Amino acid sequence: MTGQRTAPTPQRAAVICGIGSSLPPRVVSNEELTRQGGLRTSDAWIRSRTGIVNRRRAAPGIATGELATAAGRAALESAGGPPPDLLLLATTTPDRHCPATAPEVAHRLGLSTIPAFDLAAVCSGFVYGVSLATALLLSGSCARPLVIAAETYSSIIDPLDRDTAYIFGDGAGAVVLRDADPGQPGAVIATDLGSDGSRCDLIAINGGGSRMPLAAQQLTRHDRYFRMQGRDVYAQAVRRMTQSSRAALHRAGWAPATVGAFIGHQANQRILDSVADRLDIDPRHRFGNIQDVANTAAASIPLALADTAAQGLVPPGARTLLTAFGGGLTWGSIALTWPSATPRHHPPHPRPTAEPSPASPHPRTQPWTMSSSTS
Amino acid sequence: MDDVLQHLVTLLTDKFDVPADAILPDSTLTDMDLDSLAVVEFAVTLQELWHIDLDDDAAADITLDDLAKTVRGLLSEQSGTAAP
Repeated sequence: MTGQRTAPTPQRAAVICGIGSSLPPRVVSNEELTRQGGLRTSDAWIRSRTGIVNRRRAAPGIATGELATAAGRAALESAGGPPPDLLLLATTTPDRHCPATAPEVAHRLGLSTIPAFDLAAVCSGFVYGVSLATALLLSGSCARPLVIAAETYSSIIDPLDRDTAYIFGDGAGAVVLRDADPGQPGAVIATDLGSDGSRCDLIAINGGGSRMPLAAQQLTRHDRYFRMQGRDVYAQAVRRMTQSSRAALHRAGWAPATVGAFIGHQANQRILDSVADRLDIDPRHRFGNIQDVANTAAASIPLALADTAAQGLVPPGARTLLTAFGGGLTWGSIALTWPSATPRHHPPHPRPTAEPSPASPHPRTQPWTMSSSTS
Repeated sequence: MDDVLQHLVTLLTDKFDVPADAILPDSTLTDMDLDSLAVVEFAVTLQELWHIDLDDDAAADITLDDLAKTVRGLLSEQSGTAAP
C-alpha cells in the first residue's frame, strides 16, 4: 500500500462542480446541554473526549427533508448550469419509513420526475453516495447527479444517554457532480467501500423496523433510540478508516505524503487524529468543523468540505482524501482533487403543507401557497 | 525489564505522553491518566504491532506488571509468532 502503482488514466471522470450546505440556526453549546441535567458530565469532559463545543439542533417541525432541500438548492446554485438528472439522498433519519425522502426533495427542488432515492449507510452515507453517483455517471446512467447527505439525529437521540446525547448534531451537505476531464479540480480519482455486518449491533436503533415493529409492542426506552457502543466503535473506526484510506490512495497511485487535504467523518476529534496520524497526514492538511457542528453523521463530510472551501483553505486541484465509518458497519474512502466550486449555504427550507392532517405528529402552521411550494 | 515491558513503557511515554516517573510496576493505565478512549487507542496500537486482541475493558485497571503478563500470554498463544 505504498502508492507505487499508477492508476489507469480514465478518459472521463465525475467531477464535483457544486457544493451546498444547510444548518439549523439554533446552536446548542456543551454548557447548555449539561445544564439541562441528566447527563452528569461537563463542557471540559465533552471537549476532551470528542473535540465538540457546539452542535446545531433542528426546530420542531424541521425534518431531514427540510435540511436536504436547502442543502440541495445551495449545491445547485453553487454549480449553476443545467439541472441534475438524478438525486441521491444519504440519511439515517428519513422523514418517514415509507416512502423514501429523496423523491419529495426532488419535487421541492423543481426537478420534475428524475430518479430519486435514499441510501442507508449511516455515517458512511455521503462517501457511499458519491461513490455510487460516480459509478452511475461513468456508466452513462446519469450525467449530473445531485448527492445530498442530510441528518436530523436530534429525532433519534436519547437526551438522557450519556454515551451519545452530546455527540450528534443536525445538518446537511450536498454536491453536484458532472462528467468532465479527470484533470479538472474536483475529479473523483478512486474510491473504496466496505462493510462488516457481523458487528451490526455496535450502532443501531433496535425498534421501529420489521424485526421489532412499532405497532407490535411497546418499545422500551433502550430500543426506541439510537444506541452506540462507543469504545468498540472507536477501535473499529480507526482500523477501518485507516485501511480504507490506504486502499483508496493506493488505487489513485498517491503516496499519503502528497495528500494536501484530509477530511474524515467527524465522529470524534480523537478518532480523526488517530486515523490521520496513522496515515502520516500532516496536521496542517487536516480539515474539519466538528468543534462547531459536532457529529452530523452522513452530513459531516460535505459540511466540513463546504466549510473548508468557503474559507478558501485548500487550493483547487490539491490531492484530497475523504474517509468515513458508520453503522452497519460500513466504511469508505474517496481520493479526489479539491473542487473549485464556491459553496453556498441555505437555512432549512420549511416544508409547505397541504390540508392539515389530523394524523400528523407535527401540526403545520404555515398555510400552503403556490409561492411557498417552490422551496 | 523484558522486551514486552520495555515496549509498553516506551509506548506510554512516546505516544501517550505519560511522564517516565509516573510509570511504575504497580500503576494502572487509569493511574497514568489514560481515559477510556486512550486505553482503546493503546489496545488498537498493540493490535497493529503484535496482532493481539487485548481486552481494553480489562486492561484499564490492572497493574503494568500484570498488563505485561497478559500481553506475553497473548503473544505466546500465537502459534509461530515469536515474542518481540
